[in-house]
Amino acid sequence: MTLEREVARGTAAVTEVAEQVFATVAEVHAAALRPAAWNGTRAGRPVLGDDVRELLLRPGQLAVGLGLVVAPRPERGLPLRLEWWQVDPDGGRLRTLEPDLKPTSLGYYDYTATEWFDVPRRTGRRHVMGPYVDVHGTGRYLLTLTEPVVVDGEFVGVAGADVPVRRFETHLLRELGPLPAPVVLVNEEDRVVLSTSPRWLVGGLLPPDVLAAGPATDVPGVPWRLVPVDDRSLLSA
Amino acid sequence: MQLLSGDARRAVFAPLDDGALRSEAVVRRVGSAIALGLLGNGEQLPTETDLATMLNVSTMTLREALAELRKLGLVETRRGRGGGSFVRARDDVLGELADARLAELGTTDLRELGDVHGAVAAAAARLAATRASRTETARLREIVDRLAHADSVTGQRRTEGRYYIELAACAQSVRLTMQEMDLHLELGQLPWPPAHAPELLGVIVASHRAVVDAIEARDAGTARALTEGHIETRTLWSIELRLRAGQGGLVPRREVS
Repeated sequence: MTLEREVARGTAAVTEVAEQVFATVAEVHAAALRPAAWNGTRAGRPVLGDDVRELLLRPGQLAVGLGLVVAPRPERGLPLRLEWWQVDPDGGRLRTLEPDLKPTSLGYYDYTATEWFDVPRRTGRRHVMGPYVDVHGTGRYLLTLTEPVVVDGEFVGVAGADVPVRRFETHLLRELGPLPAPVVLVNEEDRVVLSTSPRWLVGGLLPPDVLAAGPATDVPGVPWRLVPVDDRSLLSA
Repeated sequence: MQLLSGDARRAVFAPLDDGALRSEAVVRRVGSAIALGLLGNGEQLPTETDLATMLNVSTMTLREALAELRKLGLVETRRGRGGGSFVRARDDVLGELADARLAELGTTDLRELGDVHGAVAAAAARLAATRASRTETARLREIVDRLAHADSVTGQRRTEGRYYIELAACAQSVRLTMQEMDLHLELGQLPWPPAHAPELLGVIVASHRAVVDAIEARDAGTARALTEGHIETRTLWSIELRLRAGQGGLVPRREVS
């Protein structure tokens, strides 16, 4: 078992998990493109059908939240608006996310400025944000996967899903099984997304020299890289 | 109920557990939520039953609190269809409420609050210096710029609250972020020092700018020390305001602001 082959196995596992979540995002996206979906928005009627939330209850679902976040267009009577469902952490009941959308509030959820909204809007491409603290939204530590929704050539919002960092870690560590050497998964900010080394903690930034020494391998489909790191244990004097 | 969610709802409507005088505690909690804009002007409060359940107080206690809030002019109740209790954000009343709260507290209470806030915010600043991305640092800087230009007491309070909460989020810590949110609901019950001495806003802004510079330079020790030092200063300001109040009253707000 060479390290190279293990890194390839690792990137494949990460891609698979991401694609699995993006498949759910695609279903939300498709629901937002159904005929007449947007007809009632001016009157405040939802775009997504009630069936979309059921995706959260599907066996093996990694996402704990999903939905559509609408690009505000005040001139057309489209305010800030989310159609987002989440699984209650204590119960498994589904509830809608109703964040504070008052700009004058301490708790204002200024989502148009968030990376998960802004990157798909600017680039027209899908994006993965995190790990990050979703401060004024869900209040959880998350990875958020989003893609732009375009209707008649115009960006109208993003479809997306939230995966808790802990759930992502548990799932992927199980998929990877024992590895010959520790690896660290980093995002495009060099932030650690997953680590099998106690030296590099999830949420921290991986120093450039460690990244260069890797070497880092791109993970197909997501803006992440997998980096082999030093395998000395800390459990010795 | 469609009022608040996420951290804010959790914090504002967390059950009250400070024992005696629960209706006053409800008044203070709602007062600070208005001061921080978590409850906006004209916003409808949940029904009495819902609100009592969320805060874990009896309906009787809640009614007493609502009566007091009405008397203060912070809540207005309308009857009939479309009726209910609605928020009225009034800076003058909030200022008086804050001064009254300060007068109830001992200097040791203020020191304790400052000690905890110092511990939480200084730890967040240290971690943020090692973990914040460039985008996050830029956002912190933008919040401080907005603080420098905020022209109302409530605007300044909210913007500063966002600075500390964002700092904790830059530390990549849900727990520190929640702690900051809780602390701000308590700090929001106390006078805002620049309301008594406007030039202090400049001191606050300069201190936060220096912390953001340290975070950008990845200087964790400096970010931590500056944050700790500033919160110590803030605690002393509150204590001085408290002691002055004990010796014949605070400087009247309208003379200075």
